[in-house]
Amino acid sequence: MTTPVLICDDSSVARKQMARTLPSDWDIEVSFAKHGEEAIAAIKEGLGDILFLDLNMPVMDGYQTLEEIKKLDLPTMVIVVSGDIQPEAHKRVKDLGAIEFIKKPTSKEALVELLEKFGLYSPSEKLAGTPEPNALPTIKKGEIGKIEYRDCIQEISNVAMGQAADLLARLLNVFVKLPVPRVNLLEVSELQMALTLTEQANTYSAVCQGFIGSGICGEALLIFSDSSFTDIAKLLKYKGEIDRTVELELLMEVASILVGACTNGIAQQLDTSFSQGHPVVLGQHVKVSELIKANAKRWKKTMAIEITYEIENYNISCDLLLLFTEDSLENLNKRLSYLMD
Amino acid sequence: MEQAHIDIKEFHWLMDMLQTIDVGLVVLDKDFKVKVWNSFMESHSGMTPRQTKDQNIFELFSEVPRDWLTHKANSVFMLKNRSFMIWEQRPYLFKFKNNRPITGTEPFMYQNITISPLVSTDGVVNHIAIIIYDVTDIAANRNALEKANHELEKLSRTDMLTQLNNRGFWEECLAQEFSRFQRYQTTCSVVMFDIDHFKKVNDTYGHQAGDEAIRQVSQILRDNLRKTDIAGRYGGEEFGVILGNTDAESAIIFCERVRKQVEAVTVVHEKHEIKFTVSLGISQASNTTSDYKVWLEQADQALYEGKEGGRNRTIVFKPKTE
Repeated sequence: MTTPVLICDDSSVARKQMARTLPSDWDIEVSFAKHGEEAIAAIKEGLGDILFLDLNMPVMDGYQTLEEIKKLDLPTMVIVVSGDIQPEAHKRVKDLGAIEFIKKPTSKEALVELLEKFGLYSPSEKLAGTPEPNALPTIKKGEIGKIEYRDCIQEISNVAMGQAADLLARLLNVFVKLPVPRVNLLEVSELQMALTLTEQANTYSAVCQGFIGSGICGEALLIFSDSSFTDIAKLLKYKGEIDRTVELELLMEVASILVGACTNGIAQQLDTSFSQGHPVVLGQHVKVSELIKANAKRWKKTMAIEITYEIENYNISCDLLLLFTEDSLENLNKRLSYLMD
Repeated sequence: MEQAHIDIKEFHWLMDMLQTIDVGLVVLDKDFKVKVWNSFMESHSGMTPRQTKDQNIFELFSEVPRDWLTHKANSVFMLKNRSFMIWEQRPYLFKFKNNRPITGTEPFMYQNITISPLVSTDGVVNHIAIIIYDVTDIAANRNALEKANHELEKLSRTDMLTQLNNRGFWEECLAQEFSRFQRYQTTCSVVMFDIDHFKKVNDTYGHQAGDEAIRQVSQILRDNLRKTDIAGRYGGEEFGVILGNTDAESAIIFCERVRKQVEAVTVVHEKHEIKFTVSLGISQASNTTSDYKVWLEQADQALYEGKEGGRNRTIVFKPKTE
C-alpha cells in the first residue's frame, strides 16, 4: 500500500533536499506544506501518514503544529527535521509527540536507519549502493517551488544558526529561541541606518569580525543590547560589579561562540573553510557610521543574513549580522549550486 | 601534500617554521601543562622549551589569570570552538617587555590572543593552542589617538586666556541645567557679571593690562567655585556662572565673596597699580521662565540694574509683579 508522506518546511531548498533524501524504492506519495497550517489541512485530507516537520517556520511553527496535532488527535507520525540541534529542542518535540528528531542537513543513511527502526521501510537488495542524489519522488500535492539563491542562503544560515545556538545553549545551560533567519540585499544607506542604533549611548554594544576563504569574504557583526549584560553575567557566573571591562569580556565570549560557530557552519555547507581575523569592538574608539561612511565608495550593496538570538526566561537578546561583500556573491552562488540542481 | 607522506626533511622545515614564526605558540593539555613552546615564547619569556615542558602554566607565570584562562579553555575544550581575546579586554596574557625597549612608548607588549581547539585523530580535543600576537603598535596608536581626541575635545571648549569654559560650551551646560530644572524642579541660579569700566582700564593701561585684569578675576572666580559650579567666559570682560542646588540668597553670598575679593586685589602692570571692581546679576530659575535664554537674560537685566545703581554690587533679578 502506498504511504502518504508530507514534508512541511518553509524553505523550498529544504523541501527539495528532504524529498531527495527519501529512499527511491520506498512506496510513497509525497506532498508538501509551507507551514503548520498547510500541514494540518493536508493531514486532514489524508496526505500525511508520515510528517517530516521543520521547527522554525512562519505562520505556524513546528511546536505549534505538534500541539495542534495532539489536540485534534490527528492520525500521523511526526519526524522533526530541524537545524535546531539543542538537546532541549529535541526533548521538547518528543514530549509533544514527535517519534524522532533528525538534524539538518539530513543524511540518507541516518534517515534510512530511522525509518527501519520504526518499521516504516526496508531497503530492497537491488538498490543497495545507489549513488546519491535520488530523483525526486512523485508529488501528490503542493510544490517545491522555484529555488532562488536567497532560499539556499536562508537554508544554510538556518543550519549554521542552529549549530551556533547549540553551543551557546551548552555553554550557558539555557534554551535559545531561534527565529527564521532573514536574508537581504542591503544598500549601504540601509546598513548605515541599522548600525546607527549601536551609537545610542549605553544602549547597544557591537563586535565585528572579518572572515575570508575561497573568494568569499565578509564581516560578522554582533549587536548586543546592553540590558542583556546583567543576565549574561549571571549565566556565566561572573561575580561583582559589571563595569565596562566585564561587559567587554561577556561580549567577546558570546561573540566568539556565535560568530565562530555560525561562520564555521556556513563554511562547512559551502565545503570550504574561512579564516577569521581578530574581533574588533565597535563604538569604543570609532563610531560605526563613520566606518561605513569611509567605505561607502568602495561598495554599494551587501548581502546580509540577520539572525536574532533570544534566550528563554532571560532578558537576553542579540542580533548577528553576517555581511557578505558584493564581489563574494558570485563565488557564493557557485558553491551553492549543489542545492539548486 | 598527503599527511602520510611528509618526509622527515619536510617535517623538519615545517617545525622550523613554527619555531621561528614571529607569533607566540603554546600548546597546553587539559591539566594546563605546556606541550609546545616556540622560540617567540622563549625569547620573550626567557624560559626555554626544556624548562617549560610539562610544567603547569600557572605555576610558571603568576601573571596568567588562572580563573579566566581556565574558563576560556574549558569552553574551547567543550565546544570545540575558537576563543578570542583582544587587548582592549585585557592588555596581555603573558607580561612580556615591549619589543622595542628603547623607542617604544609602552612599557609592555600588548597582545591579542586566539585559543584554538586541537582535534586529535580520534576527534577528541585533548589540547589547545594559544596563539599570541604582538599588537603593541596598534594599541599605542589607538591610545595616543584617544588621548589626542580627548585633548581636542577639551581644547574646543576651553577659553585660552582664562582656561575657563568658553561661551559655546558654557551655554550648552546652561541649557542642560535648565532642562534638569524643568524636569526635576531642582533649585539653581545663574550669575552674570562683568568688570566695571573695563574699557577705561584698556584705554589707560593697554590691552595687556586688561588681559591681566581678566586673568585675575578668573582666578578669583575659580578659587570660589564649588565642584559642581560651572563657570565660563561669556564675552570680553563678561563672565557667567551656573550654581547648581543654589537659591538666590545663597548665590548672593557667593557673589559678594567674589565682589569683595576683586575689590581687594591690585593688578600691577608696568609699575602701574590698577584697582577695579565687578557688578553681578543673579537669577534663580523659576517656572515662569520659558527657556534658558530668558533665564540668562534675567541675570543680565539684574547686572544692568547693578550698573545703573552705581556698580560694584550684586543684584538679584525680581520678576515684575502686577
